Amino acid sequence: MTRRGIQYTSSPLLASRTPVWRSKFVVGVIALGFTGLVARAAYIQVYANDFFQKQGEVRFARSIDLPANRGRILDRNGLILGSSVPAPSIWAIPEDVELEKGQLAQLAKLLDMPAAELSKKLQDEDKSFVWVKRQVDADIAKKIADLNIKGIYQRKEYKRQYPEGEAAAHIVGFTNVEDNGQEGVELMFNKELLGRPGMRHVIKDRLGRAVEDVGEIVQPVPGRDLQLSIDSKVQFFAYQKLRDAVVSNKAKAGSVVVLDAITGEVLALANYPSYTPDKRQNLTGAQLRNRALTDTFEPGSVMKPFTVGLALETGRVKPSTIIDTAPGSVTITGATIHDSHPHGALTVEQVIQVSSNVGTTKIAMQMPASEMWQTFSQAGFGQKPQIEFPGVVSGRLRPYKSWRPIEQATISYGYGMSASLFQMVRSYTVFSHGGQIIPATLLKSSTPAVGVPVFSEQTAAKIRRMLQMAAGPGGTGPKAQTIGYSVGGKSGTAYKQVGKGYGTDGNRKYRSWFVGMAPIDQPRIIVGVMLDEPSAGKYFGGDVAAPVFSDTVQQTLRMLGVQPDMAVRPQVVAETVEESF
Amino acid sequence: MMRINLVLLLAVVASALYLVGVQYESRRVFTELDKARADARRLETEFGRLQVAKREQATSARVEQLAREKLQMRQVTPAITSYVTYSAPMQASPAAAPAQKGAQ
Repeated sequence: MTRRGIQYTSSPLLASRTPVWRSKFVVGVIALGFTGLVARAAYIQVYANDFFQKQGEVRFARSIDLPANRGRILDRNGLILGSSVPAPSIWAIPEDVELEKGQLAQLAKLLDMPAAELSKKLQDEDKSFVWVKRQVDADIAKKIADLNIKGIYQRKEYKRQYPEGEAAAHIVGFTNVEDNGQEGVELMFNKELLGRPGMRHVIKDRLGRAVEDVGEIVQPVPGRDLQLSIDSKVQFFAYQKLRDAVVSNKAKAGSVVVLDAITGEVLALANYPSYTPDKRQNLTGAQLRNRALTDTFEPGSVMKPFTVGLALETGRVKPSTIIDTAPGSVTITGATIHDSHPHGALTVEQVIQVSSNVGTTKIAMQMPASEMWQTFSQAGFGQKPQIEFPGVVSGRLRPYKSWRPIEQATISYGYGMSASLFQMVRSYTVFSHGGQIIPATLLKSSTPAVGVPVFSEQTAAKIRRMLQMAAGPGGTGPKAQTIGYSVGGKSGTAYKQVGKGYGTDGNRKYRSWFVGMAPIDQPRIIVGVMLDEPSAGKYFGGDVAAPVFSDTVQQTLRMLGVQPDMAVRPQVVAETVEESF
Repeated sequence: MMRINLVLLLAVVASALYLVGVQYESRRVFTELDKARADARRLETEFGRLQVAKREQATSARVEQLAREKLQMRQVTPAITSYVTYSAPMQASPAAAPAQKGAQ
């Protein structure tokens, strides 16, 4: 046989008969294979379907939170008092951070922190997450992103910005890093401002782009914008004047409240010392406290109009009734009440004008304690003001049954009880609003407030006349006068309690008040000013607080577009009569 | 019979391919829409931020300071304001202007 002659087809191997079991075996194996596949398919599609569905979804379906913006806080003219702005937080995975030469210094400079502190943060290799800095400005965050450093990431966050700064800090308050209100309006209206975040489910592709919505989208509900009754211009001027007065009189603190006498809206409420809401590192309680609402003190002479008002209302006296205040003191159950200067015989009008303690006491002693208590309560003393603000206090007015005669006398001129400046200002709506006390509000409202009657309209007008006299020549507060607008108001100079008593001469501490309204015939605004411990020599309410009142009234009425009701003449400089304590 | 099946087969294949195409297109468009929405949100946020920035530049404190220091302005008082009421008789003579100072 030659090589060519090989006949493969006639290979003896092929010629041998294949055993039948072999083909059956192959068929069997293949059948088994298919059965396996069918079983697996059934397992996947039917039995363990949920598991696989879920695993699949994990790989392409994503839930995306739709954040709801926190509502803005606006003033009565729609100007922004507080609004959320994007402020990305910078975080890092320390072990992934790879800094090129010079980048550390660059980053430190952008973040405004020492390079050593930054590198310490980034070297902590045990941690897999570290905040580098929270809530940086949007443009700085962009520059950091442009540096393109590996291992440094940003998280989208928002922070509150307060354009008015310290002038409106006590009203607006602030939020924490988690966007929850901590103080002021931000805290009180947190729920309304917050809104409700939404959620959507999407399918994402390999590149991380959303390609399809799955299921229902829960739309986010953005927080409601809140329009306050505050006028940011009035607020600013009130704050500015108050700050200047506190500084120049070396006082410990001060507050000012401006109330719309027709609607009961708070146009301005400022305290000093204040703080910048954006920089709260070294905040003290003294700065944080909204004194006008949370601090109560003995109001002193500012209360006298209520005592006299009650006497007028009940017909016990007339404005022209003569009260003999000589010799400038009166003794009640062993205790003596003094005037700072003896005045002799005064009319009821003059009692208010020169602020005589003796005169007020003599009027008060004609009346039962229960009537006084009722009137004072109706005017809001000892009651929590119905205003939407955290930490509002009620002050103190003891039940009349526990009043001793001397207490009835002192309460009639504002000692032995306490009130906040805000309560005082609100109580004066009785005189400005035809004898009715009206509710105060921090939210904008355009309708005139509906009040609760305390005095009759005639009594209110008579008291207004007395307040005008008190703020005029021969009164205790002529420095309250403005150019062009008639004003009326009552100054108060109260001793502060030092230990158990009111201190001794040379060691006394004072609190100076002025509460008044303008224009006096048809009051448009009520302004209250309080200075705590003025210690630069002057301490009478008429010297210290009245100028702040005057400036604030002047500015506010001009900004409200109220036309002057008096002929304009050069600034009145009149002799001040020293009032009683 | 065979022919109908063939036609149906072709139709199925064509419709399947069309479906793939449409699905692809729809996802592409959806992505674009999503991106546009994200842009809209971003712009809205930016708008809010700029509004605040604008307000910060125009607060009473800043205006007051600039007016006082840079422009040497002073506050108006009623003593140097003329109040014009509708019913008041018009006095056109400019010489009378100083006499008009103050409220009328």
